[in-house]
Amino acid sequence: MGQGGESRRAQAHDGELGAAVARAQNGDEAAFAVAYRIVQPGLLGYLRGLVGEDAEDVASDAWLEIARDLGRFKGDGAGFRGWTATIARHRALDHLRRRRVRPKSSTLEQDVLDLPGPQSTHDQALEAISTEYALRLVSGLPQDQAEAVLLRVVVGLDGPAAARVLGKRPGAVRTAAYRGLKRLAAQLGAEGVTDEAPRTLGESK
Amino acid sequence: MGEHQSGGEVPGRRRVHPGGSAYGDRAARDADGRLPGHRGAAGLGGPGLLGSRPGIDDAALEALLAAALIRDGIDAEAEQRAVAAFRAARDAGPHRARTRRRDDWRPRERWHPGRSLKATLSVLLASLTLGGVAVAAIGSAGSSDGGDDRGRPPATTRAPGAPGASAGEPTDAASGSPSARPDHPAPSRDTEAHCRAYERVDGRGRAMDATAWQRLVEAAGGERNVTAYCAEQLARSEAKPGATPQPGKSAGAPGSAGSGNASNNNSGNTSGNGSGNGDTGAGNAENGSGAADNGSGAARSGGDSAADGGSSSGSQGKPAQPDSRRP
Repeated sequence: MGQGGESRRAQAHDGELGAAVARAQNGDEAAFAVAYRIVQPGLLGYLRGLVGEDAEDVASDAWLEIARDLGRFKGDGAGFRGWTATIARHRALDHLRRRRVRPKSSTLEQDVLDLPGPQSTHDQALEAISTEYALRLVSGLPQDQAEAVLLRVVVGLDGPAAARVLGKRPGAVRTAAYRGLKRLAAQLGAEGVTDEAPRTLGESK
Repeated sequence: MGEHQSGGEVPGRRRVHPGGSAYGDRAARDADGRLPGHRGAAGLGGPGLLGSRPGIDDAALEALLAAALIRDGIDAEAEQRAVAAFRAARDAGPHRARTRRRDDWRPRERWHPGRSLKATLSVLLASLTLGGVAVAAIGSAGSSDGGDDRGRPPATTRAPGAPGASAGEPTDAASGSPSARPDHPAPSRDTEAHCRAYERVDGRGRAMDATAWQRLVEAAGGERNVTAYCAEQLARSEAKPGATPQPGKSAGAPGSAGSGNASNNNSGNTSGNGSGNGDTGAGNAENGSGAADNGSGAARSGGDSAADGGSSSGSQGKPAQPDSRRP
């Protein structure tokens, strides 16, 4: 589509993913596993940005639905990314709704802080940032910007696909992603980890 | 899928990371992501737009984020659950369900061209239609404008032409008549319409105050001449469209009065025939031809004699024609 913004990694896998999905739709279990392995990391990253530490649960729910509805899906590898992201997003929003009714706060930070990334704090030359720091940064964004950034950078969707997942116009999503990244860049450039308390996306919504 | 599973997975995920190839994957991807990447530039407005910090361009930022948020380690347990769900769904029955709109992620290019083709065609059609209407409107407006503009110059040329013709110079008359005649089909039809309306109104009401009437009066060279002028115009127009090119011929040879006469005779004959066909009586035809002759004579010679002849023939023609028109 020439929109850019997809991760190269995602693009590289799209052909393989499309083939796997097609075979899975014909009942090939191993092909479904292949598709899972290709899609799951990005999906999980997106969900982590959305719901924090509940991402694994939400992803699990999402995959149940994906497996159930796979026969309905039509499209190629990139389309499968978008389709699965849409399903995962719906599950995440459901989850956030439930969690707002029965709030369970601040576990995100604790859980995440338990997990220092492989390259952690001593790498402050911006060569790598830890997962928790990235999550902190992303969850500090307004939700539309955070989601746009996550869908494009982490899930590897192009602009129109991200817009479709979010149910918005491509232009709005592009703008949101641009602003979000700009803000992140400013924060990253503004020296180190700030200690301001991050919000989770669910709460910022 | 409760909390206990997620609680159990977190250590599992950790185990996967350092142990498996996933760690290497990630490191490789990190390195990869830091290669000069251009992919972000297209989507996000170019590297220069992101941040004033020289250290971070958008590609690097995206790579950082992706590296931090994507973990390649796959939780085998979760994968098994997903595959089990897939198996269950597959075995539960026909795996074919209706594809809802939200399940259709086929590339947009496939239906976009169709839609855009349709849109393009309809836009094209609409523009053609509107353009045609506009062009037609321009044409009609232009012709009516031209009629007005041409209807006026004869009036101005004829008004000076009248004193010139009173001198009795045939060349002057010949030069006056072509200038009067160039009002070709449309303006003459215009004048014709005015004349018909004039007959119908016949002095009643205030219609004669209107600009069109004043123009007509001007064109005829005086209020008294209007009837003759109209008679001439009507006769000429009823002669058939072929009568109008003939004045053009006489205009082409302005000097020779003979050719002008011949053509005028022809037009008179044809107009006589035409009106004779159109009307019932032969007398009417004579009247018509006489009026045409007189009228053309008035147009040719202009001046007082034409006015006299026109009025005299008008006194004949005018009662005759309304009678032939009105039942």
